[in-house]
Amino acid sequence: MTFPINTGRDCACAWEAMPWVLQGSASQEQSEWLAQHLAHCSSCQAEFAQQQRLQLAMSLPSDIPLDAEVGLRRLLGRLDTPELQQAPAPRRVRTSHWLTRALVAAVLVQAIGIGVLGVKLRSSGDSQPASYRTLSQQAAPSAPGAIHVVPDANMKLAEWDTLLHKLNLQVIQGPNDVGAYTVVPASVASAPPQTLAQLRATPGIRLAEPVAATP
Amino acid sequence: MNDTDINADAADRLLLQRMVAGDRAALAVLYRSYHGRLCRFLSRLTRRPDVIEEVINDCLWIAWQKAGSFHGDSRVSTWIMGIAYRCGLKALRQHGDEPVEDDNLPDALVPSHDPGEDRELRDWLGKGMDRLSVDQRVVVELVYGVGHSLDDVAVIMQCPVGTVKARLFHARVKLRNVLPSLAGNTSIKEGTL
Repeated sequence: MTFPINTGRDCACAWEAMPWVLQGSASQEQSEWLAQHLAHCSSCQAEFAQQQRLQLAMSLPSDIPLDAEVGLRRLLGRLDTPELQQAPAPRRVRTSHWLTRALVAAVLVQAIGIGVLGVKLRSSGDSQPASYRTLSQQAAPSAPGAIHVVPDANMKLAEWDTLLHKLNLQVIQGPNDVGAYTVVPASVASAPPQTLAQLRATPGIRLAEPVAATP
Repeated sequence: MNDTDINADAADRLLLQRMVAGDRAALAVLYRSYHGRLCRFLSRLTRRPDVIEEVINDCLWIAWQKAGSFHGDSRVSTWIMGIAYRCGLKALRQHGDEPVEDDNLPDALVPSHDPGEDRELRDWLGKGMDRLSVDQRVVVELVYGVGHSLDDVAVIMQCPVGTVKARLFHARVKLRNVLPSLAGNTSIKEGTL
C-alpha cells in the first residue's frame, strides 16, 4: 500500500501511529515521536487535525436516542416469556431464497413434463402397435400353406384370376415392391401338395415359393 | 489496555458471573452500561431506531443466555460488541439497510439538546460516513468511537487483523478525500494505493 501522504517514510509511520496515539494506546515513545514529527510536517499536522476531529465526532452520543429503560423493560419481559417464544430471533426467517425457489420450480416443471410424456407414451402404446420389429421379437406367424408368387409382368389379370380360381387360392397380401403376392388356399382342407408344383408349371408364373416357417 | 479498561472489564466479568446465577439486576446494570455505546455502534449500520433497539435487546438476551460460556479469552466489551455486530448484520439482512430519514423520526426520538457545534460536527462526519462501506464504518466506529485495538476489532468482526488494517486504511483515505476542510486540498485517489 502506498501512503496518501506522499512524503518520506516518517510520514507513513506517522499515518500508522495517529489512531493509536489518539486512543491513548500507543507507547509513550511512539507518542513523543509523533509529536516531534508533527512539529515540522505540515501535511501530517493537517491529517492529525482531521483525525482529532474525526475522533471527536465519533465520540458524540448517538443522534438516534433510545430510552434504555424502555428497552430494558422489554428485555426483562422477554425473559419471562415461555421457553418456546424465547428464540433469539423470533422474527420471520427468510427461508426461501430466490435460488431455492427457482430450483424447486425447475424440478416441478420437469416432473410435470415427465408425467405428461409417460401418459402419452402409455396411451400410444396401448392403441397402436409399433411400426417396426426388432430381431429379438418373434415374427408374426404366417398363414398355413402360404406361397409367395411372382406372376410375369405380361400376365393378364384374367389369366391370373383364372389360375387362382383353378388352384382354389386367394391373395392375402401383395403385390410388394418386387411384384410378389402371398396366396393361401381358400380353405385349409383344400391345400393339396401339388399346388406349388402346378404354380411353378404355369407359364405366366416366374416364381412360386412356400413361405418359410419362422426359424 | 489501561487501568480504566482493566477495571471496567473486571466489573463486567463480575456482572456476567451474577447473570449466570440468574441475577437480573446484574443484567440491568450491564444493559444500562452498554446501551449508549451499542446504540451509537449500531447507528453506523442502520438509522432505524426500531431495528437498533431490537438488535440491542437480541444482543443482551444472548449475553444473558451465554454468560456461562464466556471464558475470558477477550474483554467482555469485545465479546458483547462481537455479538452486537453479528446481530446487526443479521438485522440488516432481514430489514434491509435503508436509512430512515431524520424527518420521519418520531418527535420523542429527536435529541432535545443538540448544540450547533455538535450538529455541525455530525453533518461533517455524516458526509464522510456516507461514502464508507458498512464494514469500513464499523471499523472506524470501533477504533475511533469505542477505542478498540486492531486485535479486538479482528475478534469482533471475526476476520484477520490484516483485513481490519486494510479496511481502516481505505476508510481513512476515503474520509480524507471527502472531508478536505481540515486535511487540505491534497486529495488522492484510492486506486493508487
